Amino acid sequence: MMTWMIFGTMIVLLLLGFPMMIPLIAGSLIGFVGLFGGFGQLDTMVQQILGGIRPASLIAVPMFIFAADIMTRGQSATRLIDLVMSFVGHFKGGLAIATAGACTMFGAVSGSTQATVVAVGGPLRPRMLKAGYNDSFILALIVNSSDIAFLIPPSIGMIIYGVVSGTSISELFIAGIGPGLLILVMFSIYSYFYALRNNVPTLPKSTWAERRQAVLRALWPLGFPAIIIGGIYGGIFSPTEAAAACVLYALFLEMVVFREMGLKQLYSTAKSTGLITAVVFILVGAGAAFSYVISFAQIPQHILGSIGIDEMGQYGVLFTISIAFFVGCMFVDPIVVILIFVPIFAPVVQSVGLDPVLVGTIITLQVAIGSATPPFGCDIFTAIAVFKRPYVEVVKGTPPFIIMLLTTAVLLIFFPQIALFLRDLAFNK
Amino acid sequence: MTLDDKHAPKPDPDVIAAAEVAAVDEDDIDDSKYVSGLPGLLGVIDVGIARIEAVLLAIGVLLMALNTMANVVGRYVFGESLFFSEELNRALIILITFAGISYAARHGRHIRMSAFFDAMPFRMRKTMMIVIAVVTSAAMFLLTWYSVDYLLSQASRGRLLPALQIPQWWIIVWAPLGFFLTGLQYGLTAIKNLIDKDIWLSTSTLEGYDDSAEEEV
Repeated sequence: MMTWMIFGTMIVLLLLGFPMMIPLIAGSLIGFVGLFGGFGQLDTMVQQILGGIRPASLIAVPMFIFAADIMTRGQSATRLIDLVMSFVGHFKGGLAIATAGACTMFGAVSGSTQATVVAVGGPLRPRMLKAGYNDSFILALIVNSSDIAFLIPPSIGMIIYGVVSGTSISELFIAGIGPGLLILVMFSIYSYFYALRNNVPTLPKSTWAERRQAVLRALWPLGFPAIIIGGIYGGIFSPTEAAAACVLYALFLEMVVFREMGLKQLYSTAKSTGLITAVVFILVGAGAAFSYVISFAQIPQHILGSIGIDEMGQYGVLFTISIAFFVGCMFVDPIVVILIFVPIFAPVVQSVGLDPVLVGTIITLQVAIGSATPPFGCDIFTAIAVFKRPYVEVVKGTPPFIIMLLTTAVLLIFFPQIALFLRDLAFNK
Repeated sequence: MTLDDKHAPKPDPDVIAAAEVAAVDEDDIDDSKYVSGLPGLLGVIDVGIARIEAVLLAIGVLLMALNTMANVVGRYVFGESLFFSEELNRALIILITFAGISYAARHGRHIRMSAFFDAMPFRMRKTMMIVIAVVTSAAMFLLTWYSVDYLLSQASRGRLLPALQIPQWWIIVWAPLGFFLTGLQYGLTAIKNLIDKDIWLSTSTLEGYDDSAEEEV
C-alpha cells in the first residue's frame, strides 16, 4: 500500500514537471510519515539528506565538472576533432567515424553528454551537412555518440552509482572503457556502410606531417585521460585525487600555458560548477533519504519479490535491471534513475552474487541508451535545444543506433569480460 | 569553415547556416544583470542575497579545488596529507549545495522533466506552474523547519569536528538557510505568476528563456 503511494506520487510529480528534487523528497516524506506514524522523525530525514552528500568520494563530482569546465572553454574539442579527422577522415564515412571518435575522446575529458553534444556536435554537424550526410543521421549519430561519454571515465553517473552501492569507483571507471570502445567500433562500421550506400564523398587523406601536427596539438587535452586512466590504472590516484589533479592540470594549461583564462573567467567557471554541483547534490541528498526509508520499509524486497526475482538467476536479474534502467531513462534524468533504482536492486544483486562492477557498467550503459531513446530521453531534448531542430527530425535517425546499443548491452550480459577484462588486468583480480 | 567556401556541395544552405551558429554556450549567469522580482527595499535585499549566493558558490568551489589539490600535492610531494582536508571538503560541499539550490531556484535551473508540461496549453501551464511553485515552496519550508530541529539537536550536543576543532553544527547551518531561501524563491515565483500575464520559471526567468529542457551533468 505504502509502496504504491510512494511510487505513484513520485511518478505523477515527475511527469507534471516538478523540479526533480520534489518527487524524491515527497517519496521520502510519505515513507517517513508512514513508517514512523507522523512527522516526528523528519529531522532524521534531514540528517539522511546531509549524510547523502557527505561521502568523501563524491567530491570527485564537482572536481571533474570543474576541470572539464575550465578545459572545454578552450580549444580542446577542436584539437581532438582535428586529431581524429587526420587519421580517419579519408575513409568511407570518415567524417561520421571521426564524429563518433571525437565524442569518445571528448568524453574522456568531460564526461558530460550535453557538453559533448555542444562541443563536438556543434562544429562537426555543418561539416557533415556540407559533405552530404542526411541531417537525421547526423543528429542521431551525435546524440548517441555523445552517450559514449557516460561510459568513458570520468563518468558522473558511475561515481554516483559507486557511492550509492558502495562499489569501487576506480574499478567502475576502468570497466567502462571496454563497452565504450565496442560501441565506437559498431558506430564506425555503421557509418562506413551508411556512407557507402548513400555514396557520400570521401575527404582527401592527411599527410603524416599533418597528422604529426594534429597529434602535437591534441596532446594537451589528452593529458586528462592520461591522468585519470593512467593514475587509476597505475594505482597512484583515487578518483577524487585524479579529479583534483585534472583541475590542477586544466588550470595550469588555461591560465599559464595558453593564458586564455583570466581570474574573471575562473570565477564564473567556479560559479557555474557550483550551480551544477548543487543541482545534482540536492538530488543525491534527497535520494539518500529516499533510499534509507525504502530499505527500512523493505520495499525493494516487496517489489522484486512480487515479480519473482529470486527464481530468475543471474541472467534474469541482469535483464530485469537492464530493462528497468532503460525504461526509466526514457523518461527521467539518469542521475535520478540511478538514485531511485540502485537501492531497490542492491539487495538482490548481492543475494544472487553478481559482480557489482559489472552491474554498474551495465547500468551505466542502459542509462546512456535510455537517455537517447524516444519519447523523452533527455539527450534528445539537449539536441533539440542545441541544434534548434524539430523533435521528429532528431528522433528519426535513432533506431539503428539504439539497436546497436542494445546489442552491446546483450553482449555485455553474456560476455562480461568486455567490461571486466581491463578491470581484472588493472587490479590483478 | 567559412561561409564563402563555394566549392562544397550544399544540400540546404539555410540548415547549414543555422547549424553554424547553433552551438552557443549559455551556461554563464551574469549576476550584475540580475533584477529582483521584489519591489523597493526587499528587492535590494534580494539582489544582495543573490550576490552572496553567487560568491559563496564560486568561493566554495575554488576553496574545495585548492584544498583537494593541496592534499594531493601534500601526499605525493611531501608525503603527508592535510589533516583537515576531508572535514573542510565536507563543510564546503554542504555550503555549495545549499547556497546553490537557492541560486538555482532563483534562476530557474533546477532539473525537471518538462516534456508533458511544455505540451500543455498556455492556461494549464500557467496554473501548473503556480501549483508547482506553491508545492515546492511548501516542501522547502517543511524541510527548513526540520533542519532547524536537527541543527538545534546537534548544537545542544556541542560536539566539535575532530580536526578543525569547530562546533559540528557550524557546517550544517547552511541547510536550513538554503531550504528557507529556496522556499522563498518558489513562493515568490508563485506570486509572480499570479500577478503577471506570462509564465515565470523563477522570479527572474521567463519560460522559454532557456530552452534546454534539462540540465545535463
